[in-house]
Amino acid sequence: MKQILVIAEIFAGQIRPITWELAAAARKIKNSPPLKQLPPAIHIIVPADNPTTLSEKIAKQTGIDVIGLQIPELKTYTSEIYIYCLEQLTKKMNPSHILIAHTSQGQDFAPGLALGLDAASIPGVNGIRSDENGLIYSRPAFNNTRNMIVRPTSNRPVVLTLMPGIFKQDGRKGGKPGQVDIRKISFAPAACGKERIQHRRTMRKVCENQALKEAKVIVAAGRGIKGKEDLKAVFNFAQYFPAAAIGASRPLVDMNWIGYQQQIGMTGATVAPKLYIACGISGSSQHLAGMKDAEFVVAINKNPEAPIFRHSDICITADVLEFIQAFLEASG
Amino acid sequence: MKILVCIKQVGNEGEINRFDVHALEEALGLKDQLSARLSKSVTVDVATVGPPEASKIIKRAFGMGADRGYHIVTEDPEYVSSFVTATRLAVVAKKIPYNLILTGIMSTDMMAGQTGPMLATILGLPCATAVIKTSLPTSDNLIEIERELENGFRDCLEIQLPAVLTIQAGINTPRYPCLSKMLAVSQKKIASLTEADLFPEPIEAREIYIGLEQPEKTRSGRELKGSLSDKAEQLFGLLKEKDLI
Ligand SMILES: Cc1cc2nc3c(=O)[nH]c(=O)nc-3n(C[C@H](O)[C@H](O)[C@H](O)COP(=O)(O)OP(=O)(O)OC[C@H]3O[C@@H](n4cnc5c(N)ncnc54)[C@H](O)[C@@H]3O)c2cc1C
Ligand SMILES: Nc1ncnc2c1ncn2[C@@H]1O[C@H](COP(=O)(O)O)[C@@H](O)[C@H]1O
Repeated sequence: MKQILVIAEIFAGQIRPITWELAAAARKIKNSPPLKQLPPAIHIIVPADNPTTLSEKIAKQTGIDVIGLQIPELKTYTSEIYIYCLEQLTKKMNPSHILIAHTSQGQDFAPGLALGLDAASIPGVNGIRSDENGLIYSRPAFNNTRNMIVRPTSNRPVVLTLMPGIFKQDGRKGGKPGQVDIRKISFAPAACGKERIQHRRTMRKVCENQALKEAKVIVAAGRGIKGKEDLKAVFNFAQYFPAAAIGASRPLVDMNWIGYQQQIGMTGATVAPKLYIACGISGSSQHLAGMKDAEFVVAINKNPEAPIFRHSDICITADVLEFIQAFLEASG
Repeated sequence: MKILVCIKQVGNEGEINRFDVHALEEALGLKDQLSARLSKSVTVDVATVGPPEASKIIKRAFGMGADRGYHIVTEDPEYVSSFVTATRLAVVAKKIPYNLILTGIMSTDMMAGQTGPMLATILGLPCATAVIKTSLPTSDNLIEIERELENGFRDCLEIQLPAVLTIQAGINTPRYPCLSKMLAVSQKKIASLTEADLFPEPIEAREIYIGLEQPEKTRSGRELKGSLSDKAEQLFGLLKEKDLI
């Protein structure tokens, strides 16, 4: 029987919540029209040096059978150990789909695993549906302005990394837990014999930015602000709102125009203010990941096709500096 | 030490993928430091797979300080399977035993983030993605790097060279191409390799491209109309109504 395999995301000994989304997507694939006739089995694979407790938790929460992949050498994630051990395990399992989180960890090992299995590889999946030939997948492309639709060539397994926040977790409560099966695979590659990637330490750059978390209004600046000097206009704009904080897209932080504590997005802060005003921000998926739960979103962008407008309540096509000036004048 | 940087042309105006400029800068920075401090000889080569016009980005890379350029000339349709690109780049990467191969974290058009890790797998090398800091390699060929995770976390790894790293923006500030190097560009050679010479049999893509579509809307997206001051007044009114001002 074909198998849908889900690789649970484990970080610092904890189950990452994206694991529940992967499980939900696996069910969706299993129940999709093209596979309904001959539904594949689902297994969730939990790689860890000691996977029993984690596996039981996942089996209980999802009701899906779990394989605890015990890797004695695995103290902390490295791509080398994951790719080797997961390849050993999965190539014997006749997988049709392998579901991995589109996170810093998943993106690090998925492509290597896909090649090892001669599989197709579709990264950043944000939609799964079917046409007359089977399942097809959408994924962002061209700076998030388009979705690209692809499918694997026939009869190949496919490795999919799934965008976080798209596939809603089942919300399943109670029910029969899945079975847990522990399998041990040691990291012992023939080619090099020893680990070529050694994990030294995990560190954290800065703590949460409390002001951003608590702000009722966030005025965020992006690359549409052309110079560091022009940030002042955004600061003036923000001052107009009570309890407002300044946010920024990543490139401004990368250019050292503004501190990392101000960065919003996948690799920055996650915020949910009442009002979010995006000033010259294109609306990449990585930025949206940090602000999609805002109550009301206003976007100012000079390009009417900017992706941010699809994720805004109010769209203002204008030069951001000119608009801010006009706003401050209008408000007296 | 020999470094290879994979660079891709994005858009139609001979622009280098943003992340690849950071990858090239990182390679050139390592070269500067290694040759100044340890008087080691370091070469930085660049490779690209793309249409004939893509040779422009190699010239730009020369202007920044790259030593040699490889161009695998292809006439590709819109979508190229990352596996195919990685297989093509592997031909160049195997030419010389490179100690370090750098790519960008992703291309802004394909947004796959796969070419580097796949190239590593084809070459049998270790790979780390989303690299945000590198240190000088030690005499026993170890390099310490930091890779970026979510929520401000970073993993510090020690990797045995040769290796492939994919470079995240924020790691450095890229230099501008400099005039004297630009003038010397004509002297430098771009090795053009044709697809047909390298691969008598076409490489089989693993995914089939179906098409492009507009991404879904997640909010209503009401567009404010009129002059600039009309729009400003409307927004002011709306926010006032919602008690946000
Ligand atoms: C692994 C990874 C993690 C990432 N994490 C994050 C993250 O946490 N947060 C984040 O923000 N990004 C993140 N990024 C980067 C992300 O992919 C985008 O590159 C980034 O969000 C783009 O920022 P931007 O919208 O400011 O710039 P751009 O995409 O360059 O957009 C600028 C916008 O400004 C508009 N504009 C230009 N001039 C004007 C003007 N005069 N007036 C009005 N509008 C104008 C343009 O039309 C354009 O839409 C990450 C990327 C990767 C690969
Ligand atoms: N056609 C190409 N030529 C050279 N390098 C490429 C090409 N495509 C991708 N790359 C490299 O691989 C990285 C990731 O690209 P991608 O996998 O398309 O997101 C890019 O940042 C480049 O460094």
